[in-house]
Amino acid sequence: MKQGQRIPTWLQRILFYVSILGPGLITASADNDAPGIATYSMAGSTYGYRFLWLIVVITVGELIVQEMAARMGAVTGKGTADLIRERFGVRVTAFAMFCLLLANLGTTIAQFAGVAAGTELLGVSRYITVPLAALLVGFLVLRGSYKHVEKVLLVLCLAALSYVITAFAVRPPWGEVLRQAVTPSFSGDTGYILAVLATIGTTITPWGIVYMQASVADKGVEMADYRYTRMDVMVGAAWGNVVSAFIVICTAATLFVHGISVETAEQAAMALAPLAGEAARYLFTTGLLGASLLAASVLPLSTAYAVCEAFGWERGLDQRSREAPFFYGLYVGIIVLSVLVVLIPGIPLFPIMLFSQSLNAILLPVLLVLVLRLVNNRRVMGEWVNRRWQNILAWTLTILISLVTVVLLLSPFLN
Amino acid sequence: MLYVSQVQNRQVWDAWGNPVGRCADVLIGAVDRNFPPVKALVLRGDADKNGDRYIPASCVSSLYPSITLNVPQDKCPSYTPSGDELRLIDRVLDRQIVDTEGRRVVRVNDLQLARVGDQYCLTGVDVGGRGLLRRLGLEGLGQALSRLLGRSWKTGVIPWEDVAPLHQEDPLRLRVSHDRIVQLPPADLAAILNDLDHHTGAALMETFSNETLADALEESPAEVQVAVLSHMEPERAADILEEMDPDEAADLLADLPEQTSEQLLSLMEDEEAAEVRSLLVYPEDSAGGIMTTEFAHAPIGLRAGELIDYLRHSEDAIDDEVMYYVYLVDEDHRLRGVISLRDLVMAPPDADLTPWIDLDPVTVTPYTPQEEVAYIVAKYDLLAVPVVDPETGKLLGIVTVDDAVDTVLPTAWKKRLPRFF
Repeated sequence: MKQGQRIPTWLQRILFYVSILGPGLITASADNDAPGIATYSMAGSTYGYRFLWLIVVITVGELIVQEMAARMGAVTGKGTADLIRERFGVRVTAFAMFCLLLANLGTTIAQFAGVAAGTELLGVSRYITVPLAALLVGFLVLRGSYKHVEKVLLVLCLAALSYVITAFAVRPPWGEVLRQAVTPSFSGDTGYILAVLATIGTTITPWGIVYMQASVADKGVEMADYRYTRMDVMVGAAWGNVVSAFIVICTAATLFVHGISVETAEQAAMALAPLAGEAARYLFTTGLLGASLLAASVLPLSTAYAVCEAFGWERGLDQRSREAPFFYGLYVGIIVLSVLVVLIPGIPLFPIMLFSQSLNAILLPVLLVLVLRLVNNRRVMGEWVNRRWQNILAWTLTILISLVTVVLLLSPFLN
Repeated sequence: MLYVSQVQNRQVWDAWGNPVGRCADVLIGAVDRNFPPVKALVLRGDADKNGDRYIPASCVSSLYPSITLNVPQDKCPSYTPSGDELRLIDRVLDRQIVDTEGRRVVRVNDLQLARVGDQYCLTGVDVGGRGLLRRLGLEGLGQALSRLLGRSWKTGVIPWEDVAPLHQEDPLRLRVSHDRIVQLPPADLAAILNDLDHHTGAALMETFSNETLADALEESPAEVQVAVLSHMEPERAADILEEMDPDEAADLLADLPEQTSEQLLSLMEDEEAAEVRSLLVYPEDSAGGIMTTEFAHAPIGLRAGELIDYLRHSEDAIDDEVMYYVYLVDEDHRLRGVISLRDLVMAPPDADLTPWIDLDPVTVTPYTPQEEVAYIVAKYDLLAVPVVDPETGKLLGIVTVDDAVDTVLPTAWKKRLPRFF
């Protein structure tokens, strides 16, 4: 009691915030995983600053979507898959889980492609590093020693910060940068649309929604403390997208101006050359590897968990493999399949990452529509249903993504 | 066999063959019975959207292959729900329930109905893959496949009497479930609470007695213990701590913020609090941290009959949960010898016990590391080892084998999802 009175209130508030900080900052930082860095690099180097306005729009979209997921987790205490199953029955759930599985499989493939790209840049064959990375990830997660390594990987991810520093070092035309950030531009070209979808799909992800809701529900956040979680979501989304924007600025200012459109890790790493010179490739690989391993540890596990939750199969690492065959089967299956895809001889790594993220965006509306129906259901959410403005923004986002997908499908005929 | 999924959304026809509406839900009554009867069908009429229509079960002539009534539509009375019915599709289908036979949380894929006499009853809950495929309209395909593989295809139907539905918003029904759930072993209870979502778990725990909850908590991992206690009224939390073994209670309090643990200790009964406090002094992973202070002890020098009689009236002996050994002490509570319960019971009532007493027992100090205690227990084949103050020679407590090997074989449940990031 005495101790409590000695700590000033403002300090208590900060300590409380730090203690509750977490999922928001994380999902947002995970925007800058390997496929994220690849996507933003390709977008920035191919289209210059033209993608900045999109990132502004996506930031708003991510804020809205992640906040809904966090709110559902806090109000219901349940996972997304759980709620979908209880409200929509088996058929809808089967379809939603199929989409989630597909999107997450694509993203896991992209993570291992990131490992391959990063290590091949240093001259080590992917046939050695990718299986090794898979074994490492599986071993860490199943043996439960992941907690200790996680912090190391998070520190490696800080390498993405070098984009922010480089961007300032190369002195881009800031006036032009700001102008592009508020001027929408669009093009019917297939490559451009794919890049738009990938940029959306790498920032607002199906697994991000599922992960956010699960971690808020797991923490047992009550609505009384919800504003702190909301702040976490806001700060996280904003921060992740600031870094994304700087990757675009950086690659536009260094590569786009020289007419280099990134297709390989070699080229992407050159964006960091003004800062690190010869060491750019090491810096680039560090960031890529940290983010890839981090995401590759979480993704297969949270996917297997969500699918098993939806269908009521035994799940969780506390179960032995004989008791939870679906859970471990899915987990191992996703990793093995991802590794095999990346090891196909001659498969181009950067395009894989881009396509997987476009696929994410194409599948996202399925989950978004279900989430929107849940979050507006008074029997699920009580008084915490969406406000009108939240609905308008979220539906606009959903429709926009669907429209872009339609345009993509039509674009071969348009040109 | 008839399943609710075959009734859901089906057209209902009256005695003249006129459509009445689609079946939106099935109400059952007497939920605590083994075969609860269907009380009414809920129709969501096509035309009027101003409310559901309830058809009493007495007017239903058959549910399958088509739902038909035995009266014309306008002669059908309306059923008035009495409030204790359960809506099967709304409240049970697709939800999680506890399978009390299998002792786990499962999801309801379908519900089995059967005609008993002249009424339909709920008989079981389908939690298997067959129910899933039926809902997807793929049951036939699955059946063909299993025939092709030459295997018989088991249904995953659990009898209704073996399940406990969970409705956090429905305290009345939760009590029925509670009666079925509390009889499970504490370790399974802990696992079930861990599997349930936060709110449902909390609602279920509300119905538990302090003793049941204390037992379940002892089997739960530290994070769960902390989460449960910190969301609880301090008075109840203190009551639960009193019910727990002092060593477990001390471990839990050590994990709580100091302010909270002080508050809880002050709310506990003085005697229990003092015992827990004495344990809090020692590090968590030492013999002092895992020992229990509730164990059978008696003055040395008694004859077999007298000793047994003494134990029957000793409070510490009554609190001893296992009593593998009886510890013999002098007036200053210094350990003088140990006798196993077996030898004590087998000895003639008036025999001098000296030949059976181990006068130089293996002991540990409260600061002996837990691994060392486990090693000693294994090496000397002990079921419990006494903890003795190295300076005064006083007997402080005992470490039982299960607590000693906890480090080697952790029994605590890991978090369901490891907390990433």
